[in-house]
Amino acid sequence: MSDDMSGDPQVTPRASGGRAPDVFRPGGWVPMRSYRDDETVDFVIVGTGAGGGTLACKLAEYGFSVVALDAGPYFRPLEDFASDESEQTKLYWTDDRISDGANPLQLGSNNSGKAVGGSTVHFAMVSLRFRPEWFKSRTLLGYGADWPIDWREMWSYYTEVEQALKISGPITYPWGPKRPRYPYRAHPLNAAARVLARGCEALGISWTETPLATLSAPRGLAHPCVYRGFCVAGCSTNAKQSALVTWIPRALAAGAEIRDLAMVGRIEVDDRDLVTGVHYHRNGGWHFQRARNVVVAGYAIETPRLLLNSATGRHRDGLANSSGLVGRNLMTQSNQAVWGLMDDEIRSYKGPPSLAITEHWNYADKGKDFFGGYAYMSQGPLPQLWANTLAQARGLWGARLVEEMTNYNHVAGLKIVGEMLPQERNRVTLADEVDQYGLRIPRVTYSWCDNDRRLIDHSLAFMTRALQAAGAKDIWTQDDDTCHLNGTARMGDDPRSSVVDADCRSWDIPNLWICDGSVFPTVGGVNPSLTIQAIACRTADRIRAMARRGELTGQRAERTRRAVHATSASA
Amino acid sequence: MSNDTDWLVGAGLALSAIAATAMLQPRGQTKVTQVPASLPRRAGPHPRASVRAARRLNRAAGLLAVSVLADSSVEHYRGSFKNKAMYTPLAVSALTLAMSAHGTADRRPWAHRLRDGSYLLAAATGLAGTGFHVYNVTKKVGGFSWQNLFYGAPLGAPMAILLSGLLGFCSERVRDTSRAQRPHVFGLPAARTIAAVTAAGLLGTSGEAGLLHFRGAFHNPFMAVPVTLPPIGAALLFNAAARDPDDDQNRAHPLTRAWMWLLAAMGFVGVGFHAYGVSRNMGGWRNWSQNILAGPPLPAPPSFTGLALAGLAALGLMREHPDA
Ligand SMILES: Cc1cc2nc3c(=O)[nH]c(=O)nc-3n(C[C@H](O)[C@H](O)[C@H](O)COP(=O)(O)OP(=O)(O)OC[C@H]3O[C@@H](n4cnc5c(N)ncnc54)[C@H](O)[C@@H]3O)c2cc1C
Ligand code: SF4
Repeated sequence: MSDDMSGDPQVTPRASGGRAPDVFRPGGWVPMRSYRDDETVDFVIVGTGAGGGTLACKLAEYGFSVVALDAGPYFRPLEDFASDESEQTKLYWTDDRISDGANPLQLGSNNSGKAVGGSTVHFAMVSLRFRPEWFKSRTLLGYGADWPIDWREMWSYYTEVEQALKISGPITYPWGPKRPRYPYRAHPLNAAARVLARGCEALGISWTETPLATLSAPRGLAHPCVYRGFCVAGCSTNAKQSALVTWIPRALAAGAEIRDLAMVGRIEVDDRDLVTGVHYHRNGGWHFQRARNVVVAGYAIETPRLLLNSATGRHRDGLANSSGLVGRNLMTQSNQAVWGLMDDEIRSYKGPPSLAITEHWNYADKGKDFFGGYAYMSQGPLPQLWANTLAQARGLWGARLVEEMTNYNHVAGLKIVGEMLPQERNRVTLADEVDQYGLRIPRVTYSWCDNDRRLIDHSLAFMTRALQAAGAKDIWTQDDDTCHLNGTARMGDDPRSSVVDADCRSWDIPNLWICDGSVFPTVGGVNPSLTIQAIACRTADRIRAMARRGELTGQRAERTRRAVHATSASA
Repeated sequence: MSNDTDWLVGAGLALSAIAATAMLQPRGQTKVTQVPASLPRRAGPHPRASVRAARRLNRAAGLLAVSVLADSSVEHYRGSFKNKAMYTPLAVSALTLAMSAHGTADRRPWAHRLRDGSYLLAAATGLAGTGFHVYNVTKKVGGFSWQNLFYGAPLGAPMAILLSGLLGFCSERVRDTSRAQRPHVFGLPAARTIAAVTAAGLLGTSGEAGLLHFRGAFHNPFMAVPVTLPPIGAALLFNAAARDPDDDQNRAHPLTRAWMWLLAAMGFVGVGFHAYGVSRNMGGWRNWSQNILAGPPLPAPPSFTGLALAGLAALGLMREHPDA
């Protein structure tokens, strides 16, 4: 029995003293390289999710010294995760936030996580590539903004991530340019997925098995999926290929240090406009970790918050914010659904929630009265979530709610991941209130635009037809749900209209980087994590190339300093 | 799932285990009797040699039946015996098994009516089962797709009971014609026919393993073994079947025989690998009642052993009867 078993991972850090939890062995440990606060490391990374976890791994494997900090706990999935929705809310970022605007976002379970591994610890594992045209949506499709990256380059980074996560996917993917075969085979469809398939076949559009980041065969010490469907409450078998069980163990093996329960409150900048490290809160006190480069990867709300909270006299509006765009162009994705009852038992909660998908309306441009696209997938809500949905969307309560819950096993649903357009008014700012660390909390302002509404209406009408065609009865629509968050520090070609360049390097401060969903100029109609991880892989390659050419400011400074040390030692 | 079916499946599994051991028993005894009965190499047809080949074929058919009994018990239990017809392969393979045990012990040089009938029944069951499985796959949404080939009723599985029936039926023919100038099946030379049937069976079984191992993404390099060794064995057997009967030198087929032994061993080792595969599921063997269903099928690999034994029987007959 390990000595941290009694300790609460949400109270006492686990990764310390030269070791970190071994997520594959109950009570086990892996050795971890440790750095002192006053040791200047090559990279400090804030956040260990899809963006930060991936980058930490890649940079460590490329030989950089890396310390990655996460405000959340270091969970051991095999031991810490219960088959209990209430217990598992411990995975969510539920710190205080203010949400306003015409369509205020519901923050918490459906959009952000707080753990080593970030939101990928409780994400739904849907792993999709962007439609190539979306990287140039302004030029090619007439809306949003262009990305400064070519889709062909992204195509090879997508492949890298798919291999790293052993994505289980269909043999042939019906949409878009050819992609290599997914490393693992698709999972068996559950009845809910077959409802989607029947609807698509009746309406004459393609469907396929959803590419998922969960194992359909063993991989090392990770078990294959057991189809119990607790995925968004945290996977206790390690089948889910979250950052926690993929990139992070690799990062540790390559010499990175991970610090859990370490909340970064401020990035320090010197008079030369270079960052020098981060102030973080851990073990009841504030510390300062020196670094030649700082990467912010805290997700689309915490990233701008940290940049804004790090304002100085010289950087009054926050760091990297000469464009005034830090915090702006926040984009969520529409997540509306259509639900109905089937005669047969469906038990939609069996297996990963979204086993079948159609991307038809991502790739079809005719028959649309809106810009952008959407995918829709089969659904598998757990009972508590389902009761909440019925209570909120339909106002059911008491006896009526109980009665409706008796239909639970017959429910089938289709839900979109829809593209919302970037708008500058949708943004993250700082409120005057402070949180438990004394840091100003974020205010998140969100309002849909007409295009967002038209897309949602189109999808609800189409999915209603699909569900009818599949034989569902008592169909109703859930009109108000949103999911993933992106934007707030967009990448681009021009320092006046973007926060970072294509390499995720901030225009204003050359040794400050942003590497998470915040850099998306547009979101597309697919779940974002595969793209975030692909960008992180690309960023690591770019950093390595720049380092080889001596283009990393911090490194140049270090080389001089080392030389000084050497002289003083020999003196 | 009712307790009845639990019991039934348990009984099926136990029976197959006992039978598997029993099937392999008589070999030692035959060896002993073989020595005094050593015949001049080119003595022409000898009834005893034919009966020996026939008994070996009974044993091979029995081993295949064991595999079917265990496999269909587990898989149809997993399918909750949704359709009453799903009991059929259990009953038929159990019967085939019993008949094969009887045949393996029986030294009389003539066919047995009940055995003959049950072998034909097994073959018919295999054909009907294939029909059922094809229907199951095609009626699913997506039709004849990878998804349904992977996860629908396995198309190749009922072939095993068909093969068991065919080999058993051949065995009876070999016995029946043991006193004839050359053992034959429907007028065709028995050894060559059986070798060809076995080779085809090896190819089919290897195809089935290939499909399911592809489903598992060949995540373990050893998963390539049952898709590489058996096709080579099949080619060797076909080659043996096609050899000129007057070619005296080449009747021993040492390489082919060795390859059959290799395949027979592979079938057993495969169970070990599948047991390891089961252990890699959540909870490992401690959670055996779920993981036996979720992991790779334990009873599947021995069908290669069954076929390899049939191949050996055919080769043995070929050696003793130049034109069999
Ligand atoms: C319920 C749910 C289901 C989802 N399903 C899917 C899906 O199926 N497919 C898909 O592609 N995407 C899905 N997503 C979205 C996906 O998880 C996120 O888009 C992705 O993880 C975001 O990556 P990130 O690196 O930007 O942030 P995260 O992965 O959220 O990582 C950010 C990390 O930074 C830490 N952090 C933040 N601020 C600080 C700070 N100041 N100091 C220290 N640490 C800090 C946080 O604790 C967190 O661990 C889902 C999300 C949720 C919530
Ligand atoms: S259904 Fe699969 S991926 Fe989801 S929690 Fe269970 S084992 Fe993990």
